[in-house]
Amino acid sequence: MSLRAVKIGLGAALVILPSLAQAHLVNSGLGPFYDGILHLLLSPADVLGLMAATLLAGLHGARASRLTVIVLPVTWFLAGLAGLALPAMLELPWLSVLSFALLGVLVALNPKLPAEAVALLAGLFGALHGLLNGSALAAIGAGWTSLLGIALAVWVVALLVSAWVVTLQADWARIAVRVAGSWVAAVGILMFGWMLQ
Amino acid sequence: MIRGGAHTAALVLLWIGTLFGGQALAHESQPGLLELKQITTDRYEVVWRAPIYYGQPHPARLVLPADWTAVSEPTVRQLPDSALHRQVVQVEGGTIDGSVIRFAGLEATITDVYVRTTRLDGSQFSQVVRPTQPFAELRGERPWHESSREYLVLGFNHILMGIDHLLFVLGLLIIVQGRRMLIKTITAFTVAHSITLAIATLGYATIPGPPLNAAIALSILFLGPEIVRVWRGRTSFTIRHPWVVAFGFGLLHGFGFASGLSTVGMPKAEIPLALLMFNIGVEIGQIVFVVLILLIQHALRVLQFRWPRWVDFAPGYAIGSLGAMWTIQRTWMMFL
Repeated sequence: MSLRAVKIGLGAALVILPSLAQAHLVNSGLGPFYDGILHLLLSPADVLGLMAATLLAGLHGARASRLTVIVLPVTWFLAGLAGLALPAMLELPWLSVLSFALLGVLVALNPKLPAEAVALLAGLFGALHGLLNGSALAAIGAGWTSLLGIALAVWVVALLVSAWVVTLQADWARIAVRVAGSWVAAVGILMFGWMLQ
Repeated sequence: MIRGGAHTAALVLLWIGTLFGGQALAHESQPGLLELKQITTDRYEVVWRAPIYYGQPHPARLVLPADWTAVSEPTVRQLPDSALHRQVVQVEGGTIDGSVIRFAGLEATITDVYVRTTRLDGSQFSQVVRPTQPFAELRGERPWHESSREYLVLGFNHILMGIDHLLFVLGLLIIVQGRRMLIKTITAFTVAHSITLAIATLGYATIPGPPLNAAIALSILFLGPEIVRVWRGRTSFTIRHPWVVAFGFGLLHGFGFASGLSTVGMPKAEIPLALLMFNIGVEIGQIVFVVLILLIQHALRVLQFRWPRWVDFAPGYAIGSLGAMWTIQRTWMMFL
């Protein structure tokens, strides 16, 4: 299989999967709260952006991480509530991809940013994806209990990932984190390419 | 053991517990049961026991294969905890292997359904239908690993749904001091609930649901004041020997777990396997929860979260309040 075929396949999967995941809520068999958790974990755009935001926070130290761990799930949940009230399902694939690709680029470049700026970026990402999640949940008749599951999962992932990155001292380990950020950015660029086609 | 992480975890669980307070009343929601009994070469008696679902008739509807013909009028008998639907059907060719039975609406619930088939020669087969895949394809005897996986998932899901069990384990984690005592306490809880789970599943003893649920709520309420004592630097028998309390209340929780593994519709030969795998599922779920809480505690420490002194008491009051609310609700339910 050629590299181009792999890229196209990956791009197609990443474009299709989020729409599938948002079109209907994944049934965990454990009720809407767990359905929400599963929904987040099966939405690549959400997961990639969440990882990038928390990796960025971790690279900027404990204070940036503390702020992000609080801001990210709160904005996600509040924007989700707003999304639930929207009359129609909101679809912003370009903005969705741009948001996580940008965060991936920032992780890869690791520019010096104030802790508040890192949290603000995470908050903007949380608000955008919360809004999208909320409108998708409303479209399928799901409610805020699923949103609560999503917010809790966001909080746990943000806390664990950013704390783990904060503990990394070795240069190579921090570089590995930045490489992971570049992969997130690369996936975003691939998805842009796919959407253009 | 986990003072730091306990704050957020307890508050989150309190929040969730309050939100799902009504559901928690009946969290030990009963599984459904579909029994197919061959009565002649081409006729089967179909009995569908649809459990009461949060105080209402169960939303799932039984859909039999189109080529099964009803030869008797369906009857419905209302029982205290379920509705019993019964009818006799004629099956073209006499074999039900390969037939697919659907449970319309099951996907919107958290109910599992046991399907038991009894043939004229006395042989029995069973399978579990889950909301994620709300249909049963009848195909006779299945390999043991397939049944094992079903019961393992059943146990794992059961503890994840049991917020009261999780809250009790969280309470123990806050009280316990030291890694060795943590292992001892969790082991005591595990051994105790395994004993009563086995006793109840094998039919040697049962406790009616309402008083059992009230007693489980009481076990959570019991831990509230003990947690506050820990934070005030005081001691008590529970704080010195948490494993004894874990063992004592673990016996109660085991009866609660047993309600998730109804053996009513299970062939006798399958009970030991079901019991073993269900218990392993419960243990895996419990370990996942404990590890997650320990990781959260570690992460909160790494990120140096600080909070005012009054927040120190929040887990104790959170767990105690929720325990009290459930105890009152469930005790009240016993007299309704």
